[in-house]
Amino acid sequence: MFDAEGTVRSPYRALHDAIAPTAAADLTVRSEALDRAYLDQGITFSLSGKERPFPLDIVPRVISSTEWNKLQRGIVQRVKALEAFLADVYGDAQIVRDGVLPRRLITSCEHFKRSAHLLNPPNGVRIHVAGIDLVRDAEGTFRVLEDNLRNPSGVSYVMENRRTMARVFPDLFTRQRVRAVGDYSIHLLHALRAAAAPNVADPTVVVLTPGVYNSAYFEHSLLARQMGVELVEGRDLFCRENVVYMRTTEGEQRVDVVYRRIDDDFLDPLQFKPTSVLGVAGIMNAARAGNVVIANAVGNGVGDDKLVYTYVPDMIKYYLDEKPVIPNVSTFRCWLDGERGHVIDQLDELVLKPVEGSGGYGILFGPNASKKELTDARKAIREDPRGWIAQPVVQLSTVPTRVDDRLVPRHVDLRPFAVNDGEDVYVLPGGLTRVALPKGSLVVNSSQGGGSKDTWVLAPNRAPEAERELGQAGLTAAIGPVQAPAAEHCPELTIGQQQQQQQQGRDH
Amino acid sequence: MGWRIRVVHETGYQYNAPVHESYNEVRLTPRSDGHQNVIVNRIETVPATRSYRYEDYWGSQVTAFDLHAPHTELLVTGTSVVETGDEVEPVRKATWEDLAGVAVRDRYTEMLEFTEYVSKDPALTEVASDIKRAHEPVDAVHAACRWVHEKMTYQAGTTGVHTSAPEALQAGKGVCQDFVHLSLVLLREMGVPSRYVSGYLLPRKDTGIGETVSGESHAWIEARTGGWWGYDPTNDMPIGRRHVWVAVGRDYNDVSPIKGIYSGGSAEALDVTVDMTRLA
Repeated sequence: MFDAEGTVRSPYRALHDAIAPTAAADLTVRSEALDRAYLDQGITFSLSGKERPFPLDIVPRVISSTEWNKLQRGIVQRVKALEAFLADVYGDAQIVRDGVLPRRLITSCEHFKRSAHLLNPPNGVRIHVAGIDLVRDAEGTFRVLEDNLRNPSGVSYVMENRRTMARVFPDLFTRQRVRAVGDYSIHLLHALRAAAAPNVADPTVVVLTPGVYNSAYFEHSLLARQMGVELVEGRDLFCRENVVYMRTTEGEQRVDVVYRRIDDDFLDPLQFKPTSVLGVAGIMNAARAGNVVIANAVGNGVGDDKLVYTYVPDMIKYYLDEKPVIPNVSTFRCWLDGERGHVIDQLDELVLKPVEGSGGYGILFGPNASKKELTDARKAIREDPRGWIAQPVVQLSTVPTRVDDRLVPRHVDLRPFAVNDGEDVYVLPGGLTRVALPKGSLVVNSSQGGGSKDTWVLAPNRAPEAERELGQAGLTAAIGPVQAPAAEHCPELTIGQQQQQQQQGRDH
Repeated sequence: MGWRIRVVHETGYQYNAPVHESYNEVRLTPRSDGHQNVIVNRIETVPATRSYRYEDYWGSQVTAFDLHAPHTELLVTGTSVVETGDEVEPVRKATWEDLAGVAVRDRYTEMLEFTEYVSKDPALTEVASDIKRAHEPVDAVHAACRWVHEKMTYQAGTTGVHTSAPEALQAGKGVCQDFVHLSLVLLREMGVPSRYVSGYLLPRKDTGIGETVSGESHAWIEARTGGWWGYDPTNDMPIGRRHVWVAVGRDYNDVSPIKGIYSGGSAEALDVTVDMTRLA
């Protein structure tokens, strides 16, 4: 928020001017209102087995339109390169033949699914939704920390954070030109419908959830509700002769696109874990036969493996012949003999991460680690070099955050969400800003006790009509019923009202 | 000159209570290549189903089908007519140095790795390094297969589908699947890319034309020493006109002839019968 001289960075100026005169007591009242909002709605996640609300901080994270344009270009570029990569490795693997990356990099990846080989989705899209985790380092440069191409979650927090902030701080949104995030589901539905086989006139889309005990169940139900599609569990679906049907009170209904929020291993007991009851037996062959589209595609994990990540700049060069717009965090690969030695020697200055891990589990911070932890980690690296990467400690940027009634700097990251409909990659302006609440902590994962912030992408000062949210005629026409274009300064109103009506409808 | 052989492979399940939903995949279709020519292949089920075919990652032909009407027995019959080729000659092209090179190790990485069934064992590591020291690659493949052949006694019923190579070695007895897994451990320890081949073997050398004999579902190995070639460790003999291959993979898991899931009571596998007729 502040630059090196202690003056307010320009994107934050209006926000600072608005908050600074606010009385501390008023802030407290509003902050309590924020906390209550989430408890009341039951938006929780699981921390060490206990459900608790996801703390929303009162100070938003602000990103200028220039900054955002660059990020957006970088994310689109990355998604396109990764799409090309996935199409390639589940096809001819030309990138391997050309020696850009070794075959064993792919075959040794746990998430490389051989049963997805030659399984080509109708419109070629495998990454319908991507979450690209970004951090801002000490120099102020945004870098990609990791790609999430399987089932990135968190977009519901982006929408809910905004809705709650708009309710508690309506005055802030009147002064700022904050770009809307509430229409995410429209883009998602559009992309999912576009993914269906070309000969289906009115595709049936469903959201497949593992069930109410999943930590992201709230998100599954929110997305299904906003898209106006059925939320189903595995037992609601079945395959017959390679067609997927949904059991409804009016009989069987054919399903064309399954937006599944369960992991590959549980999706099809015929191909993967035979004991899984969450999935749908035979769905892989239905997809192979072109009768259903699985979104995101099976086997995407080979593109977001943390070791494969280190080769993404090479992919961007190979497939797109471009330079990466957003650089990676420099990474040492323990499986390369030349880099492993360095990691083992310098482990106390590095962050060691398992390549398969997610949610911040299994990460070792070298500077904070005990002697025994370091020794154990070195042993683990030698035993399984493919399983580990190491990165220098990135001093994540900080944003003022309310802790115990005071605003103090806390480290943040950013997960923007991208939706690919096969023609364009849409990037939701903003994304999920996660904040590490303990002082000095660099681990922002919600599963490790992080909180979140509303993330504001400011609209350009003189935004032409066409660049504005929902101003694109093509999209509106393509989907049919959509909300009227939202006013730029108060973007959440339309969605909020719509949801209120739905909630009222449910009560009756 | 090879033989023309008809293979009729029958397999299936019996259930103690009616099954309402069942999903299956079978790999019972031989492929044509330099060694054999597949003239016809047909897969039938009782109850009848509409099947779906595709080629899997390893190049095997998979036939998938599902059943939704209640049934207490599922019978699958794969019928093929195949022209087999002459005895397969080893490919003597690669040296130990070639095999240790990055190019080979990366290209055939999946055929060099250990799996659940083809798993490492200290005793086998030692055997492999002894064999490797004394032989050139092709001779080492022969020596490894011979070692397995001598150590193991062919006996059905002592090992199961899920027996790993070290477990089979401990038992000292097993079926072709165990012979192959053991040979693969030795070959991969030596750094020779090698794979599991499933197929059929016409048991008698002197089978006359028109004669039908009870054959068996069989397995052998293929090693790559500059080119792929097969060898049969169970019988310690080269691949010849009596062998019909169906699928290749890293181990049994990749080539299992029939796998499926169903809802309902418990299942009992029917006896597998393979009838082989020499047609020409």
